[in-house]
Amino acid sequence: MKKNIAISAFAVLAASAAHGQELRFMCYQDGNECDVWAEAFQTFEAENPGITVVVDVVPYQAILESLPVQLEVGEGPDLARVTDYGGLARFMLDVRPFVDDPDMIEARYGQSLAWARVGDNAPDGIYNIVDQLTATGGFANQTLFEQAGVEMPAPGASWAEWAEASVAVRDTTGVDFAMALDRTGHRFAAPAISFGAALFDDTGEALVIDDGFRAFAEQFVDWHENGVMARDVWAGAGGGTYQDAAAEFINANLVMYYSGSWQIGRFGRDIGDAFDWVATGGVCGPEACTGMPGGAGVVGFNHTEHPEAVGKLIGFVARDDVQAQVLAQTRNLPANAELQANGIDYQDVMPEVAAALTVFAASVPTFSDTAYALQGYQFNRAVFTSIPARLTQAIVGELPLDDALDRLHQDVADAIAEAR
Amino acid sequence: MTAIFRTLYEGAFNLFEKPMRMLQYSLGAHRMAWVFLLPNLLIFILFTYLPILLNIWYSTTGGDRILLGDRNWVGAENFATLFDCGSYMDPNSCRRDLFWRAVHNTGWFVVLQVGFMILLSLMAALILNRNIPLKGFFRAVFFYPVLLSPVVVALIWKWILQRNGVLNAGLDWAGMGTVHWLLDPSWAFFWIVFVSIWANMGFYVLILLAGLQAIPGDVYEAAEMDGTPTWRRLFRITLPLLTPTLLVVMVLSLIRAVQAFDEIYVLTGGGPGSATTLLIQYIYDVGFATRPRQFGLAAAASLVMAGVLLVLTLLQLAATRKRAEEG
Amino acid sequence: MAEVELCGIVKDYGAVRVVHGVDLTIEDGTFCVFVGPSGCGKSTLLRMIAGLEEISGGDLMIGGARVNDQRAAERGLAMVFQTYALYPHMSVRQNLAFGLENIRMHKAEIAARVTEAARMLQLEPYLDRRPRALSGGQRQRVAIGRAVVREPKVFLFDEPLSNLDAELRVSMRGEIAGLHRRIGNTMIYVTHDQVEAMTMADKIVVLRDGRIEQAGAPIELYNRPVNTFVAGFIGSPRMNFMPCTVTGRDETGITLQDAQGRVLQAAVDGRTVAVGEEVELGIRPEHLHPDPEGYPVTVENVEQLGGESYLYVRTETGVALTAHLTGQTTLTCGSNAHLAIRPDFAHVFRKDTTALPRLRLGELENGTQP
Repeated sequence: MKKNIAISAFAVLAASAAHGQELRFMCYQDGNECDVWAEAFQTFEAENPGITVVVDVVPYQAILESLPVQLEVGEGPDLARVTDYGGLARFMLDVRPFVDDPDMIEARYGQSLAWARVGDNAPDGIYNIVDQLTATGGFANQTLFEQAGVEMPAPGASWAEWAEASVAVRDTTGVDFAMALDRTGHRFAAPAISFGAALFDDTGEALVIDDGFRAFAEQFVDWHENGVMARDVWAGAGGGTYQDAAAEFINANLVMYYSGSWQIGRFGRDIGDAFDWVATGGVCGPEACTGMPGGAGVVGFNHTEHPEAVGKLIGFVARDDVQAQVLAQTRNLPANAELQANGIDYQDVMPEVAAALTVFAASVPTFSDTAYALQGYQFNRAVFTSIPARLTQAIVGELPLDDALDRLHQDVADAIAEAR
Repeated sequence: MTAIFRTLYEGAFNLFEKPMRMLQYSLGAHRMAWVFLLPNLLIFILFTYLPILLNIWYSTTGGDRILLGDRNWVGAENFATLFDCGSYMDPNSCRRDLFWRAVHNTGWFVVLQVGFMILLSLMAALILNRNIPLKGFFRAVFFYPVLLSPVVVALIWKWILQRNGVLNAGLDWAGMGTVHWLLDPSWAFFWIVFVSIWANMGFYVLILLAGLQAIPGDVYEAAEMDGTPTWRRLFRITLPLLTPTLLVVMVLSLIRAVQAFDEIYVLTGGGPGSATTLLIQYIYDVGFATRPRQFGLAAAASLVMAGVLLVLTLLQLAATRKRAEEG
Repeated sequence: MAEVELCGIVKDYGAVRVVHGVDLTIEDGTFCVFVGPSGCGKSTLLRMIAGLEEISGGDLMIGGARVNDQRAAERGLAMVFQTYALYPHMSVRQNLAFGLENIRMHKAEIAARVTEAARMLQLEPYLDRRPRALSGGQRQRVAIGRAVVREPKVFLFDEPLSNLDAELRVSMRGEIAGLHRRIGNTMIYVTHDQVEAMTMADKIVVLRDGRIEQAGAPIELYNRPVNTFVAGFIGSPRMNFMPCTVTGRDETGITLQDAQGRVLQAAVDGRTVAVGEEVELGIRPEHLHPDPEGYPVTVENVEQLGGESYLYVRTETGVALTAHLTGQTTLTCGSNAHLAIRPDFAHVFRKDTTALPRLRLGELENGTQP
C-alpha cells in the first residue's frame, strides 16, 4: 500500500511557483522511520525554498522487488531508503559534488559509505547515508535463567558456553528450544567469522570455505543434530527463504535467540512485562566476538532530474543534529561515528530497551573488518541466500556437510559469474 | 424506472448497432468475424504468446539484468548447465543439483500423487455412486476442498501439522509422543502428497462420478443375469467402461501434479532442505528468490518443463478425442 | 426345462401397489406372452421373475422350487433386454462368452457353445466386432445369443423388438418363434404389441393395472374375450362397440335394438341378461360386410391396400365403426353404404364389461364372409 505524505501544501505550491523541484522519496519502515523523516524534511524545505520532498511509504517487499525493476528501466523515485547497497550500487547517484562538506561526511560515515563503493562506483563517492545501523547479536530470556537457577554467561562468553547454559535452562524449565539463529547467511556469518572464517581470498573474492567456516558449519549442524538449535527455523523451510524465531522468543519458548538490533523495538512492545530479557552483546568464537553490521540508508538515484537537490537532501540527512534528532525518535543505532562516540539520548524507553540499545551500540565498534567487508560486498546477497539453502541440506541429511560446502562455494561462484 | 432502463438499453443498443452495421457493410460478414475475435486475440497475444516468446528469448541470455537489451546472449548455455550431469539418476553428480533434485522430487510426487489420488477418487466415486445414506453430504465433503484457495488449504494443514499443531496436540494427549511432521524429509514429502490429494481429489471424484453415471444401468442388469461376481463386475464391466473417463482424469491430474506449487510452497517452503522442492519452486527460487536473479536459467528450466507439459497435454487431447469418438 | 408358477405375486413401490396378486402357471415349454398397455405391470412382473426386482409378496416357483430369495443368476434364467444391453467394450464373441466365464466353464465348452449359437443366429461373420459396429437386428441376435449359450431353463424377453423397424420386427418375430420351436424351452415374452402376442404365443396373458384380465391361447382370447378390455386389446383393428338394448332372448341367442330401433341378432347365451337391459354389442372389423339389407352408414374414409380394404364409417346414431373387407371396394368418401353383421360373429358385453358366452363361433366355419 502506498501512502503519500504531502509534506506541506504550502511548500508544494511555493515550489512549483519557484523552481518546481519535487523530490520523490520511496521509504520503508521497521517502526516509524518514514514518519520521522517526513517531519524532519519540513526543516529541510524551510531551509531550501523551491525543493519539496514527497515521501512514499511502501512495504519492505516493494523496496526489495519493485524498486530494482523500476530502476532497471530507468524509472522510480529520486531517492529511497534501501538495504541492498551492492545490488543497487550501479543506480546510485554520487552526491560528493553537491554536499557542503564531503570531508565531514567521510569522517562520520566512512565505514558504511564503503558499502556502496562497489563495481564501477567511484572509490570516494558519497552514495548512501545509513540512518539505521543494525548489528546482529543475541537476546536471552533472563527470567528463564533465573527460574532454572542457571547462571547466565557473562558478556564476552563463547558460543559453546551459551549453548551449554541454554540447554541446561531448557532442560530444567521444559521450554521447547535452547537456541535459535535466523535462517539467513547474514546471521550465520557472524559466528562463522568468530570461528575464524576469512570469507574472502587475497583478491577480495568470496566465498572461501576455510577451516574457520568449516568449523562453525560443523558445529552448527551438530547443534541441530543434538537439539541445541531449534530445528524448525532452518529445517522448516527450503531454498534461501528467510525465517526468524522472534515469535518463539516472545512466547518465552526459546532461551537464547541470535538475531539483531532491529528486534529491540518489537521485543519492547510485544514482551512488555511478561518476562525480563537482555541483549547479550557479542558472542565469541575461538577467533573473534564479532557480530554483523548492516543497516538501512538513504540513497539517491542517477536518473534524477534534480541531482543537486538530491545532493542537498542527502547532505541534510547526514547532518549530526538531524541524525541525532531522528535517531532519538526512531530508536535506531547511529552509523555516524560522532554520534556513536557521544551516544544518543533515546527518550521514553523501557529499561530493557534502553539497556539493549546500549549493549548493541557498544558492540558495533568491536565488529571485525571481515564483517564489514562482507556487509559491503557487492554480491553479499548471493552469500546470504546460498548459505541457508546448502547448510539446511546438510542439517536434514540430504547432503554430507563436505558436499554441501562444496556446493555452497560453487553456488556463490556461479551467482557472481552470472551477475558480471 | 423501467422506462429509464429501457432508454438506457436502447441508447446502448443504438450506440453499437449503427457503427457495427456500417462496419459489416464495409468489411463483409466474413471479415466481420475478425472484428469480434480481435479483442480476445489481442489479449492472448499480449499475455500468452508474447510471454512465451520472451521466455524463449530469456532462456538464451545470461546476467542478472531485466531488460533484454542489457542481457548478454549465451546461446544454449543455460540448457547445457541444466543437463550437465554425471548421471541423471544422481542429482549430486549434476552441476545444477537442485534442478535435478526438483526433477526427481517432481517425478516421485507425480507418480505418488496421481496414483493414489486416482485410486482414492475411484474408490470414493464407486462408494458415492451407490445408494448410501447421506450421499449428498459426502459428495459435498469431498468437493469442498476444491473450492478453497491453495494458500488456505496449506495454512489449514500447517496449523494441523506444525510442531505445536492440532495433530501433535492430539498425539500428545493420547500419550503417543509428537512427531516433527514437516521437519523430517520423508514425513514432509508424505504430507505434501497427502495434502495435495486432499485438496484436489474432489474434482476428480466428480468427473469419475459423472463417468460412472454415464454407464447404462441395463448393462449391469445384463451382468446380474449373467451371474457376474462383484469383483468381476468391477474389473470387467465398470472399469473398462470407465476407461475413457479414467484416462482423462489421469492426464489432467498428471499435468496439474507437474505444475504443483502453491500449497507446497506455503506448507513446507520446499524444505526441509530440498526434500519438497518441486520444479516450479526451483524456477521461482532461481528466478526470483535468490540474488542475483538468474532469469536465464529460470527461463530455460521453465521451457524444459513446458516441453514435458506439452507432451502431457497432447496425450490429454488424444484421450479426449478418443472419448468423444467412443461416446 | 421348467414350469414357472406365480402364486399371489405382489409388487409394492412404497405405499403404491403396482402388481396385485398375480396367479399364473406357465407350463414347461410354453411360449407365454405378457401383453397389455404401458404401465400395466407386465415388465415389472417379468423383472420380478428374472430377479431384477424384489418380490413384495407371494411365491415364485420355477421347476417346482420357490426362488423368491434366489439371486437372478441362481434362478437359471436368461433375459433379452429391450435395449439389448450388450457389453459395449466387448466383441460379440466376448459378449456371448462372458456369462459362461462367470461360472468358470471349461474354455473348450464355451467355444463350442459360442460357435453353435453364432451358427444358429447367423452371427459368425460378426464374432470379432464390437456391438457398436452392428445393426439393430444383429445386436438383438447377439442379445438372444447371449441368452441361448447359457442354456437356461427359462428365457425372458422384455419387449425385445420394440427398437427395431417394422420389417426387421417381422423377421425377428419369425426367428424367435423358430428358436422356440428348435429348443423348446419355456419362454416368457413381454410386449405391448398384440400382433407379436398373437403370432408367437402359445399362451397370452393380458394384463391391466397390475392384474391379469385373461390368460389363454391366442385364438381363445380372440374368439372368447372375457371382457371389453381384452376384446378391444386383442385383434387389429380394434373391435367395434355399439350400445344396444336387449329386446328378446331364446336358446339361439338374443335380440338387440340400437338407438335407432334397428334390430340385430347375436348368438350368445342370454340367460344372464334381462329384456330391456343395456349392453354393448361388439363386432370385429373383419366381421362386417357390405349387404344391401344391412345397416345404413356413411363412409368417412377409405383405405385401399389392394388385397384388402378398410372402411371408416359412421352410423346414423353417430357411432364410428371400422370395417375390414377382403379385396377392393368401389365405395368412396361421403357415399352411403350398408353393412351387415352375422349373429354368430357378434360379441355382447354387459354394463360391467363382462362378456356373454358365445353359442356359436362363426370364425370356425369356412370363409368368414359369405
